[in-house]
Amino acid sequence: MVFTTVANFVRSRGPDEFWRKRKILKLAAHYIGRRRNCYSIAIKNVHRALVYATKHRQLRKENMRQLHETRIIAGCEQHGISYKNFTNGLMKSNVLLNRKSLADLAAWEPFTFKALTDIARQKCVEDGVNIDLSPQKSVDVITKGMLK
Amino acid sequence: MSALKRVQQWATFARIWHIYDATWQNPFESAALLKKYLMGLHKPIYHPLADCGDHVVVINCSEIALPGDEWKKRVYFHHTGYPGGASWTLAWELHKKNPTLILKKAIYHNMRGNLQRRYTMERLHLFPNESVPDEVMKNISNQIRQIRPVPKRLDHYTEDEVKEFPKLIDYPKDYIIR
Amino acid sequence: MSIFLRNVNVLSRQLLKTIHNPRTADIKHIKRWVAPTLKELKRRRDKIGPEPLRKRSEFLEWNYDAEIYAFGKRLGEEFDDEILRKSLIHRSYVIQQELKQEREETTTTTSAPTEIAKEDNSHLIEAGKEIIKNYLNKALQNQYPEEPAEALHKYLTADDMLSHVAKHLGLTDLILSEDFPVENSTLARTFEAVIGALNESSGLERAELFLKDFLLTQLSDKDIFDIWEPEKPYEYFIGIAKELGYKDVEPRLCNESATNTILANYQVGLYSNKKLIGLGYGETIENAKDTAALDAIQKIKLQNFNKKQALQ
Repeated sequence: MVFTTVANFVRSRGPDEFWRKRKILKLAAHYIGRRRNCYSIAIKNVHRALVYATKHRQLRKENMRQLHETRIIAGCEQHGISYKNFTNGLMKSNVLLNRKSLADLAAWEPFTFKALTDIARQKCVEDGVNIDLSPQKSVDVITKGMLK
Repeated sequence: MSALKRVQQWATFARIWHIYDATWQNPFESAALLKKYLMGLHKPIYHPLADCGDHVVVINCSEIALPGDEWKKRVYFHHTGYPGGASWTLAWELHKKNPTLILKKAIYHNMRGNLQRRYTMERLHLFPNESVPDEVMKNISNQIRQIRPVPKRLDHYTEDEVKEFPKLIDYPKDYIIR
Repeated sequence: MSIFLRNVNVLSRQLLKTIHNPRTADIKHIKRWVAPTLKELKRRRDKIGPEPLRKRSEFLEWNYDAEIYAFGKRLGEEFDDEILRKSLIHRSYVIQQELKQEREETTTTTSAPTEIAKEDNSHLIEAGKEIIKNYLNKALQNQYPEEPAEALHKYLTADDMLSHVAKHLGLTDLILSEDFPVENSTLARTFEAVIGALNESSGLERAELFLKDFLLTQLSDKDIFDIWEPEKPYEYFIGIAKELGYKDVEPRLCNESATNTILANYQVGLYSNKKLIGLGYGETIENAKDTAALDAIQKIKLQNFNKKQALQ
């Protein structure tokens, strides 16, 4: 018969206490004050930090997505097209850029982004979506439908 | 950094001063609009940590229009912090005390409560009427379009205009208007 | 002392190996003596202080012949072994060797005289300098107008730039000179000498291609106005506008914002014949005018110059 629980009743946890604590203190090396020097305080903070890290791995993605959407909406507004029409129009025109690249284009390549809004707007017009054309009278996009 | 690169940065993060006429505008809808300009949400370079918000000057705050019976029913709560220090003020009462406060509170509550909110509010300049100090007026370079058109009141039409307005019928001569 | 140091290093490395080795990770415990021993070793190490900087050639496995051979091969160049060796010997090194030999002769009379290098690289440096100068003149004057070309020439032939290139070509350890660590000026002179050596071994064409590959490419991704900028851009542009064919250049205020605050921003456009030729921003109108002129210079002078040269 094997007693697996016997190990739990042993008071001493082995001679390598130093290295066990070392692992935790290493993670607390960049903290301030007693949080980095005292083991019993450090371990609480390290555990909490690791929990945060786990939670925020998901939150970071959500936050970034939110930021990208905000930037795209801002870009769309400058060219007088709604976010919904913009993404729909691009999807239908088979322009499959993700939010991140669209946001990057809006911030760093405004002319490219404007061309994309033109494409989306033209697609919306052709598909009969009710769209406000007042900010821009003519669209500089030539589509297959026009060539007929 | 060359001079060209330096001014590119300067121009990218330039503060624009917008003006907004609150005449006959719903303060709660306006708040959502003005918040965008104050926080810089209307720029594709927006980042919560970047200081890219603009200034907004709102004139005619005393002329705002609340929807429905909000003047009578909307209540603003305040507590002094002492026992029995709670007070409830109706919207029309608050407006009477300070004609800019309803719009200010609407914008303040439209933003998320973080450390940045108070600094963002510093960029909002509210004036009860059209008189804006010259040093503020000099900064302004853009106007924000009103959310809804301002209707013309009947008593602002001239007598001739009223007379020439096409009518379906004329009242009979012996008709008495009470 | 140094033997002791090395022993400490070897020992601590061995200890760490036992701790971090993945094969021994499932060992139940780390022995009690390991931590205090490492601590003591660290204490001794700190007490002694940092290890002195040593020449790479002082290490045991240093093989100068192999390094010389590999230097040309890894750059894809054919060097004459003799000339390359000569190009790496500086005047200061020769003098140092001679002094050393004299000292030896006075102390020990019987020992055979060691062979020392007689020739240094001074004439290769001169030759290399000339080649670099000629090549850059040729290359830059095709691309840029006179003033920026001069500034770029100066930028590329400065000691900082040449030593940067030399260092990353791996010349630092090969140089034979008195100074250690090798100074920037020595590195720069060696680079020139290597160019001279390449010219003598494989001809001028290879030397110029070498310069094109390793020196001229340092300009990539750099902003020209970081290297060259007219002192008063607006006046400078007005001065050259006529010869470029732009009449009646006038600055116009296009946009302004927050003019009454510290964050004032102005946008000024330079117009000639009702056409926009440059756009600039700035915190004052004067500043914006200057940057508009810079923009115009970049658009018209530098870019047109390239086009013109390409057509010719």
